[in-house]
Amino acid sequence: MTKVVLIDKSDNQLSCIKGPTGPEHRRLANEVMRQALQQASLQIDDISYIIATGYGRLNVPFADRQITELSCHARGVSTLFPGVRTAIDIGGQDAKCMRIHDGRLISFVMNDKCAAGTGRFLEVTATALGIKLEDMGDISLKATKRIHISNLCTIFAQQEVIALLSRGEKPENIVAGLHDALASRVAALARRLGIEPDLVLTGGVAKNIGMVRAMKDSLGCEVLVPEEPLITGALGAAILAKEIYTKAVEAGQVLPTKSRRLEKATFFAEEHR
Amino acid sequence: MSDKSKGLNKAREIYSNNSQRARELKAAGKKIIGYPCVYVPLELLTALDLVPYRTCGDIKEPVTEADRALPHSFCPIMRNCLDCALKGKNDFLDGMVTIHSCDPQEKTARIWESYTNYPYFHFIDMPVTVRPEALEYFKSQLNDFRKTLEAFTGKKLPKDKLEAAIKSYNQQRTLVRELYELTKPSPPRISGTEIVQVVKALTSLPVSEGNDLLTEVIGEVKSRTDVPEKKLTRLLIWSSTLDDADIMQVFEDKANVVMNESCGGIRAYRAAVKSTYDPLEGLASYYLNEITCARTFRQATPGETGKDYARDLQSRFGYLKGIIRDWKISGAVMLLVRYCDPFAFEMPSLKDYFDSIGVPSTYIEYDYTTGALAPLRTRAEAFLETISQ
Repeated sequence: MTKVVLIDKSDNQLSCIKGPTGPEHRRLANEVMRQALQQASLQIDDISYIIATGYGRLNVPFADRQITELSCHARGVSTLFPGVRTAIDIGGQDAKCMRIHDGRLISFVMNDKCAAGTGRFLEVTATALGIKLEDMGDISLKATKRIHISNLCTIFAQQEVIALLSRGEKPENIVAGLHDALASRVAALARRLGIEPDLVLTGGVAKNIGMVRAMKDSLGCEVLVPEEPLITGALGAAILAKEIYTKAVEAGQVLPTKSRRLEKATFFAEEHR
Repeated sequence: MSDKSKGLNKAREIYSNNSQRARELKAAGKKIIGYPCVYVPLELLTALDLVPYRTCGDIKEPVTEADRALPHSFCPIMRNCLDCALKGKNDFLDGMVTIHSCDPQEKTARIWESYTNYPYFHFIDMPVTVRPEALEYFKSQLNDFRKTLEAFTGKKLPKDKLEAAIKSYNQQRTLVRELYELTKPSPPRISGTEIVQVVKALTSLPVSEGNDLLTEVIGEVKSRTDVPEKKLTRLLIWSSTLDDADIMQVFEDKANVVMNESCGGIRAYRAAVKSTYDPLEGLASYYLNEITCARTFRQATPGETGKDYARDLQSRFGYLKGIIRDWKISGAVMLLVRYCDPFAFEMPSLKDYFDSIGVPSTYIEYDYTTGALAPLRTRAEAFLETISQ
């Protein structure tokens, strides 16, 4: 997903847009930005400073600076939950665990590039079960038992799900087991870093009530979830942009900014160095 | 390479096409002997007029051929090296010397030998501790190595020639240390990426040509005006093998990598071979004791029953303290190659050591392919953001 958050100088959210990410990163970035400006009734020239984050951060032509999603998530989460010490973000591409002190990222771990331990694990297994990803949470609440899923590999887990279905296991019990499997994998990642409350869960997976419960069980501590768990990275980027810009203005510096044009895509490799 | 290129340009050209010089020497009648790891004592090869050539991997080369010979969940560097060999990229070699520096190398050595057909093949069985008995055994292994080389070349290895070769390699070690003196200023006078290119060139050239190249590079770097841009962080990277300029550049986009503690950087050059009555004695001692790769365990108290973690840490990693002070290191990256057990086992203790001396550190794992670059960039930049906020 590609997300935009626009804030004003008092950190009020002026707009918040989420769009799908496709192969055309640049066009997408332009499109969500256009929608965000429309929502806030602003022109692109009205934006003082823009930070891009995430895997596509080098591919946002109008961004003034790039900061990794780890720093941005940490900042976004600590704005919503000032007491946060540990944040876990589970998205479709990866899972990250962050230790935060006073709103600053101090250390992190990320899962490796395999799909185990990411939201993709649920997407793939939902397909095997013939259910919608967004229904998984509610379905798991009907479980009468939690089936142990032994495979952490997404593809093998999918095969295991099919085998369980053919054995006559109820889908809700399987879904509950899948949540436990993903939660235990991510909890193991977080333990490498050390877990300290308050703990906040973000990313698309945090919208799944069954996963939030499974994370509580696996981690053995309370799990806080923001109202809108998908946009903490974008929110953090906006807040860091405001802080960097304000600091520069106070110091009497002029920050270099990119052309404020929602330009057509050019070839990626020419610019990113 | 063009005849006119010198110094850093020449190093870059050799880096990009590192087998060219070996092929030229082969055409001129020299015998070229491959080796996959810096633990192979090149002095013996050089003393018998053989040209050593390090058989490296290539992160841009997708592994296809090696999959029929090696398991997937296995050191990606050795898979890549063997893959290049199976694709005929080292077809000019007259021989190969492998060594038990780690288990993947030992296993791959046997497979390498059975899948290829070089006139000479030798395996050195190297011990993994620094106990006195291990040193004796390693010395006997080097003596066996000498005998097979003598049989292959049909020549006796005279002591004076071996001593001369040791002298040339010691000079190379001195020159690389001199080069690393030039990363001490801020900004450094030479980038970590350039050093990766120079070191790879050294492992692709005869020692005398390598020393000439180093002398040129040092002269050029001392007087250059286009020094690398100064970045916020001065990094130390500790890794098994960091020999790829693109990987190094991921870090250098946002930091100055002033110390590459890997066999693509300073590791094989930090000390010198001591002069001993039997030259093999000095060589055995240098290769076993002085090269600081995680494949050798340096317990502080071998044979004692009590454990002393702080002393062990000092014995295993103490040398890094001086580097951190002298090069004004402000952050350390433990860059693990996936499935590299020796470094993975060392990592938690090294993390403790960095914590104990107050150096911010992180560990990052990658798999020695170009696919690793984007995730590597995110992890590297996030770490740099945590220490430069």
